[in-house]
Amino acid sequence: METFVQSVVSGILTGSLYAMIGVGLTVVFGVMRIINLAHGELVMLGMYGAFWGLTLWTLDPFVSILLWTPLMFLAGMLVYRFLLKAIIPGGELNTLLYTAGLSLLIANLALFVWTGDYRTIKLPYALLPMRPFGIAVPIPLAIAFGLAILITEALYLFLTRTDLGRAIRATSQNVEAAALMGVNVDRISMVTFGLGSALAGAAGVLLAPSLYLYPTVGEILVTKCFVIVVLGGLGSVAGAIAGGVLLGLVESLGAVYVSVAYKDTIGFVIFLLVLLFRPSGLLGVGKS
Amino acid sequence: MSRAAVAGAVALLLAIPFLTANQFLLHLGITVLMWTVLGVAWNLLGGYAGQVSFGHASFFGVGAYTMMILYLKVGLAPWYGMVLGGILGAVVSLPIGLICFRLRGPYFSLATLAVAEIVRLVALNWEALTNGPVGLLITTLPQVGFGSRSLNWESKAPFYYIVAFLAAGAMLATYGLSRSRLGAYLLAVREDEDTAESIGIDTVRAKVTVLALSAFFTGLAGGFYGLYFRYVDPDAVFPIALSVEMVFMAVVGGLATVGGPVIGAIFLVSVGELFRERFLVGHLIFYGLFMMLTIRYLPEGIWGGVRRALTTHASARHL
Amino acid sequence: MPLLDISDLSKDFGGLRALSQLWFSVEAGEILGLIGPNGAGKTTVFNLITGFLRPTTGEIRLAGTSLVGLKPHAVTQCGVARTFQIVKPFPKLSVKENVTLAAFMRLPARQDAEAEACRMLDQVGLTAKLDSLASDLTLAEQKRLEMARALATRPRLLLLDEPMGGLNPREVEDASALVSRIRDAGVTVILVEHVMRAIMRISDRVVVIHHGEKIADGPPDQVVRNPNVIAAYLGERVA
Repeated sequence: METFVQSVVSGILTGSLYAMIGVGLTVVFGVMRIINLAHGELVMLGMYGAFWGLTLWTLDPFVSILLWTPLMFLAGMLVYRFLLKAIIPGGELNTLLYTAGLSLLIANLALFVWTGDYRTIKLPYALLPMRPFGIAVPIPLAIAFGLAILITEALYLFLTRTDLGRAIRATSQNVEAAALMGVNVDRISMVTFGLGSALAGAAGVLLAPSLYLYPTVGEILVTKCFVIVVLGGLGSVAGAIAGGVLLGLVESLGAVYVSVAYKDTIGFVIFLLVLLFRPSGLLGVGKS
Repeated sequence: MSRAAVAGAVALLLAIPFLTANQFLLHLGITVLMWTVLGVAWNLLGGYAGQVSFGHASFFGVGAYTMMILYLKVGLAPWYGMVLGGILGAVVSLPIGLICFRLRGPYFSLATLAVAEIVRLVALNWEALTNGPVGLLITTLPQVGFGSRSLNWESKAPFYYIVAFLAAGAMLATYGLSRSRLGAYLLAVREDEDTAESIGIDTVRAKVTVLALSAFFTGLAGGFYGLYFRYVDPDAVFPIALSVEMVFMAVVGGLATVGGPVIGAIFLVSVGELFRERFLVGHLIFYGLFMMLTIRYLPEGIWGGVRRALTTHASARHL
Repeated sequence: MPLLDISDLSKDFGGLRALSQLWFSVEAGEILGLIGPNGAGKTTVFNLITGFLRPTTGEIRLAGTSLVGLKPHAVTQCGVARTFQIVKPFPKLSVKENVTLAAFMRLPARQDAEAEACRMLDQVGLTAKLDSLASDLTLAEQKRLEMARALATRPRLLLLDEPMGGLNPREVEDASALVSRIRDAGVTVILVEHVMRAIMRISDRVVVIHHGEKIADGPPDQVVRNPNVIAAYLGERVA
């Protein structure tokens, strides 16, 4: 029983971070209908940001997140404005391929500059896990979880209570109608991409103390997050959150009860099973 | 392109091993030709049918492992193993297609990515079959005799001819497809699947057929890889990067053209070699960069752009 | 036996009942007009017949054979072709190629298919535009292209979804005449339209749908005087 609870807790903790990455992806898709394969690299940049912040400036990642998040937001806006904006009119496929190229570019630049050596972040307070009710909870992961919840809550409030947030939601529901209502779709797209990038970067910073860092970590992360997002419904924030937590749980339980080696496969297999039996995904998206 | 030009190019291609004994140049040629087969194979599905697969590495790996396993464990000669690798690749593509084709556009691409990852992880973990991360190694190739002489496997020349033959076969298949009813149907599927259905095109059958063809050639190339490099492991033949490189080649070279993947392959290999010498790893940076530049400024790819600039003659459409 | 027989046809989208126990039939050689206010369910009927949607309940029979559960391409192969409310040509292909693709279904050899395509395009008056890109055509021309494309599949039954939409009065005349010619050549037609003048003039019979149910079924002049129909349209006068 204890193992089970332990797995569930681990799963939810990791899942919350998957969810955050997924939300960034899904929000971008919802507004711009683009599938950003470079999203994983944005997470990776956040991770390395945390690493260098600690190594060079002895900044705790949970502090440097305050620096990296706005920077990633800005970077995202610039990427949209100077790179993506010209590509989007060329169609979904072209944009997909373009972001695939961008992903290769960023990952390999990172590989070139920072080498492929695995890095880790060792935080002094990470050595002893907390033990609420006898369940081992690594402190950095717990803090990450807490911050992820805060950030998601902030995002929810932003999307529902502010004008800008509402404009974003309107655009993702119906671009033409939103434009007719006076929404500057271009500006919204830019802000949304910035938002998605900021979420990705922030998730990276939060994840950094708990994972091995290497430049191509984006690859497997983005694949998993796409699985989440497709299952939860592309464009649906709630779906991404649910999907992320679910994947975290499935992986965690799978590692314990099925096989550690095939842990990563489980998510993909479920993905394909869902496609077989419910071809439009869990929440009805999938056929364009 | 006139028949004479094509014949000339083919003759030149076949003559290369006689013109130079430089093993490095031959190696380069072999690599280019192998990537050509991959690019052409991918192009069948991606360029003509418009279905962008990020999972073709799975067929490559299946081909490679089939050849290796059959040779090392059963003793079946590698050339037969190679063909069986292609066939097995095609067979494997059937359930993959049936699942993934339930999705359209980018969702399909993601599904193929997921499938490829599953296949890679299975190959990595099913040690009894594949030796896991250790991989499989060929130490000696079988003796093959032509009259009184036997093939010298130490030289690159025999490999060169084998892969040149594969490349020619793949390009011929593409050319045949482009002139066939299936080829026309695929272009319709690429434009608008629903409309294609409404004029009587069985879109699922068309897609599954072209995928099987594409997987066959990819598997063949995988089998060749095993034969030439004599060592396969999951990271060499199943990684996402391989699939992405195939996509890259077809896109930069020119989607839905016969000549495009060749240009893409030449480009890819030369850029790769150039940067491998200087920087050891940097070449992928430039793949990414060129992919972006191509999509932005030359969406038809290099060959597509050249073709458009040189001629508007209807016959060029089939290149 | 009627060529097309629809019985007890219902379609639910989640909680919304789009069609409710619809029934009507079409005799071979007829032009049947299918009318009703916007949102009545007319395009849904077409989507159900052609296999893009599955009925929740009910039966659709073409000359006795059930079409339910068939994929769209199979329905077309049985002899049902359609045009779309919003034209869907293959924009980057030529006019001739657009129609050749449809002709391929019955004529697998390219030469034969292309010849058939040229014949169809001649019938609709687009011979001058054979090599133009489909996207370069005017709306009226694109509608004719869609009709040629549908005809190239040699259908027994042709479903026309608002072919007159967006056309000026002269173009409406031409389109109406074309539909009549198509019927005279042996193709049965179901015509969904809002342009009353066209429907009334060329239909042999009219079926009226409102809120997913049939409210009238008969010759045009009778249907027009039906109080239920008038009420449904509330204020629309028929020319």
